[in-house]
Amino acid sequence: MLSKKVVKEENPRIKELKFVLRRIKENPLSIAGLVIVMFFTIIAIAAPLLAPPIAGRDPYMIPRYGYSPIPKPPSPENPFGTTQGQYDLYYGIIWGTRTAYRIGILVVVASILIGIVIGALAGYYKGIIDEVLMRVTDIILAFPALILAMALAVAFGPGLDSITLALILVWWPAYARLVRGEFLRITSEDFVEAAKAIGCSDFRIIFRHVLPNAIFPLIVMASLDIGSVVLTAAALSFLGLGPPEGYADWGQLISLSRNWIIGTAQNPFAYWHVWVIPGIFLFLFVMGWNMLGDALRDVLDPMIRRR
Amino acid sequence: MVLNDDEHLRIKDLVVRFYTYEGIVKAIERANLQLKKGETLGIVGETGSGKSVTALTIMALTPPPGKVENGDIFFRKSDGKVVNIIKLNEHELLKIRGKEISIIFQEPNAALNPLYRVGEQIAEAIFSHRLKEMLEKAIQRIQRDIKNGNGGFAARLEFWTYNKMLENPNSISLRFVKGLPIIKNIITRRLRQIVREEIIELLRLMEIPDPYRVVDAYPHELSGGMQQRVVIAIALSCSPALLLADEPTTNLDVTVQAQILDLIMRLKQRFGASVIYITHDMGVIAEISDRVAVMYAGNVVEVAPVKELFKNPLHPYTKALLESIPRPGSPFKSIPGVVPNLVNPPSGCRFHPRCQYATEECKHKVPVLVKVSEDHQVACLLYGG
Amino acid sequence: MGNIIATLGLRKYFPIRGGIFGRKVGEVKAVDGVNLSIRKGETFGLVGESGCGKTTLGKTIIRLLDPDSGKIFFDPDGSLPEDLQNKDNFDNLDIARIKGGKLKKLRRYMQIVYQNPSTSLNPRMLVKDIVSEPLIVQGICKGREAEERTLKMLEQVGLSSEHLYRYPHEFSGGQRQRIAIARALITHPKFVVLDEPTSSVDVSVRASLINLFKDLQQTMGLTYLFISHDLSIIEAISDRVAVMYLGKIIEFADSKELFKNPLHPYTKELFSAIPIPDPEIRRKRITLKGEPPSPANPPKGCRFHPRCPYAKDVCGQDEPKLLELKAGHYVACHLYG
Repeated sequence: MLSKKVVKEENPRIKELKFVLRRIKENPLSIAGLVIVMFFTIIAIAAPLLAPPIAGRDPYMIPRYGYSPIPKPPSPENPFGTTQGQYDLYYGIIWGTRTAYRIGILVVVASILIGIVIGALAGYYKGIIDEVLMRVTDIILAFPALILAMALAVAFGPGLDSITLALILVWWPAYARLVRGEFLRITSEDFVEAAKAIGCSDFRIIFRHVLPNAIFPLIVMASLDIGSVVLTAAALSFLGLGPPEGYADWGQLISLSRNWIIGTAQNPFAYWHVWVIPGIFLFLFVMGWNMLGDALRDVLDPMIRRR
Repeated sequence: MVLNDDEHLRIKDLVVRFYTYEGIVKAIERANLQLKKGETLGIVGETGSGKSVTALTIMALTPPPGKVENGDIFFRKSDGKVVNIIKLNEHELLKIRGKEISIIFQEPNAALNPLYRVGEQIAEAIFSHRLKEMLEKAIQRIQRDIKNGNGGFAARLEFWTYNKMLENPNSISLRFVKGLPIIKNIITRRLRQIVREEIIELLRLMEIPDPYRVVDAYPHELSGGMQQRVVIAIALSCSPALLLADEPTTNLDVTVQAQILDLIMRLKQRFGASVIYITHDMGVIAEISDRVAVMYAGNVVEVAPVKELFKNPLHPYTKALLESIPRPGSPFKSIPGVVPNLVNPPSGCRFHPRCQYATEECKHKVPVLVKVSEDHQVACLLYGG
Repeated sequence: MGNIIATLGLRKYFPIRGGIFGRKVGEVKAVDGVNLSIRKGETFGLVGESGCGKTTLGKTIIRLLDPDSGKIFFDPDGSLPEDLQNKDNFDNLDIARIKGGKLKKLRRYMQIVYQNPSTSLNPRMLVKDIVSEPLIVQGICKGREAEERTLKMLEQVGLSSEHLYRYPHEFSGGQRQRIAIARALITHPKFVVLDEPTSSVDVSVRASLINLFKDLQQTMGLTYLFISHDLSIIEAISDRVAVMYLGKIIEFADSKELFKNPLHPYTKELFSAIPIPDPEIRRKRITLKGEPPSPANPPKGCRFHPRCPYAKDVCGQDEPKLLELKAGHYVACHLYG
């Protein structure tokens, strides 16, 4: 029987993963990136434990400790202090991590999917399909991303879903371009023609042959982009286009700190906690993902070249 | 005496290693080679033999992550002095590359910059090494023109420029004038004319039928054979004493290859250069070499005059190599096994896993090159290596 | 034995696009009117230099490229007659224009092995998937049965079960080429195009690949179209050989006859240019003037005449036809009529 004859050595895909992890370990910046990303992932997963929500309420609405507009500094009750309107900053940061991941992952994944469909069609069939699809892409890329996102968010109305949708619409063209470029390159290789010679359908060739070879640059771009998406979403929230006041979202929290960036005349940093703390978390999140993305690119690129 | 009187180049105990993520690649392990003045040495080997790395190391251009761990490369310059290329610094190497030793690569379109016209690229080589000669010619031409009454203000300006370039190339006034957009073309008019004439002459020497079209063409406008001729022109523009050719005809059609081989042999006669020709094609080796060195997995395994090597191959690899090419009257057999991984090469003789004469000793003892007869060396335990 | 493949007036042109809107400004006449027939079970050698169209011809015959005009007759049973010019009742065997499901079924019987095994195998697929894919795509079998056939095929090409779960980059050039051969032969095709299969492989390994081709031809009853620019390999393996120049066949004969007695001036020049691996023999070389012209602008009349040392006036006006000079030896040259 076949199973006795075949000697399966260590699964080659696991060998690959081990290689990637080993290369990441060798680079201190990438370790730092990995650590930061894991830190945030754990916070997001453990949110209900770290900042238990009040039963019966939407956990994403931050509990208030009063109604005074003046933020209170950190205290044992509110570890990070409170914002304008007495929203607990600690709670907001913890659950804000979940929101950040939600936006980041939704936008990036959706952009990748749309980008793959459009880029694959353009890069595989070329000709007039390529021209039409790429011109549509060009039109969207002609607008400055933030402005276009703002315009769309205004059109869709305020809210988290609205800015998520706006960002998806603004973000997919870059992926479509990338996928198209990779497809153009890969479809000129012999093994794609060989697949045609066997009788593979276009669909099979695209998904089984070309796409797995095009995936690495996509992964790199995606990991670099999560940071950018979250940053842009925070900008939109800051401008008031995002979730309502009191929602656990970093951009929203920074928005609440708008009037308190400069404190009193005697003590300009009196209310530092309302803008420094959300700012630091946002900064670390973006930087961690950027470092991880850089590390992935360094690791994956020579691996491709090695082949 | 590190170099005999009739020797041009000697590689002694060369060790080159590549430090990669997969491990240390022992690319060249104690290679020994001599090149006599005026001869063509053919180096034949397959993938992994180390022949290309050897050529690059002679020019001190070992590609990173490669490092020369040990060994010497003694070279006799055209002024008679003997230098050790391994020990020279970058400044001295710049004077040797292109002028004393030139190299022709396998891919002509990789050797030529696609953004510059072919003439400009040849001019670059000439300006690097023969500037003084060109300046002197330009000055002579100006003097002749002035005598004939064709001088003028522009001519005097040129005269001043050229003299300044001869005495003090880095002077500020010179640099200033050379930076002015239209002026800089006027003050170097005759120089550029002279260099252009030199280039056309060089292209004619390369048997290029219409050099005036080629000199202003971009590399992609030329065919593979033409491009390779241009590369050879650049390599020979400064009359090097030693020409390295790393598989220059492998990617060319058979008929074009024949033309280029003829060209190289004719040029070698004319310039009196020594040539090291690297290839994997035994037919080319038979045609072009005076002596042949056979390399396998980073070692030189046999060296002999070309007729002797084909008539009387001693090393088992050489024998097997000759049997693996379709020749009338010779069996057409492959060599079993694969080229070894140079990160973990076989112990002892690197060929022993594929050798039909291998003994137990071959697994442990590394053979060295020994003289078997007048000009025939082998590295094999069968012959007391 | 009859013929398995016959082409009639086969043409394949590639458009040259230029200008802002990519209008067609010219055509590369890669294959410009080729009539040939390949006998069942033989190895048909095709030689020529770069730009002559031999690879295009091979790919067009197996319909990897679509011909612009002409007919391609394919009979897996090998009973096509010699002269098809005047017979119309073989049109049902004409595969030049079939599409869709019929074309897909055809792929089972016609396969190709590429020159460079590093680029002809998907670097992200396991060997077992690469070799078994044709079975799955053609609906021949799947699952356990496909695995067994894959293993058997790998063993036939000299590999073993331990190679199933590896990626192509872990193998040497010769081994990769064997994987490519296994992939091409697993559906038991009748006709295989071998496009310079030994050119990218080390010299010392070529003989074993050639012997493998010969063995497989016997055991599996294959017919080969062997394309190469390496004349010594062609001589070693082919039964009949055709020489192509700028999209046309200019000479064609039994292998031994052609190499002993080349007639066309281009063939003579081509053969004289091969370096002989024997330092005692000095090549009597015939060098031509000029460069090979571009297939976008083939010269009028005989395509070779601008470079031919024997060119006459008629050569610049009329294109010579491929005529049978001796038994089985065809030449297209005005020197011979």
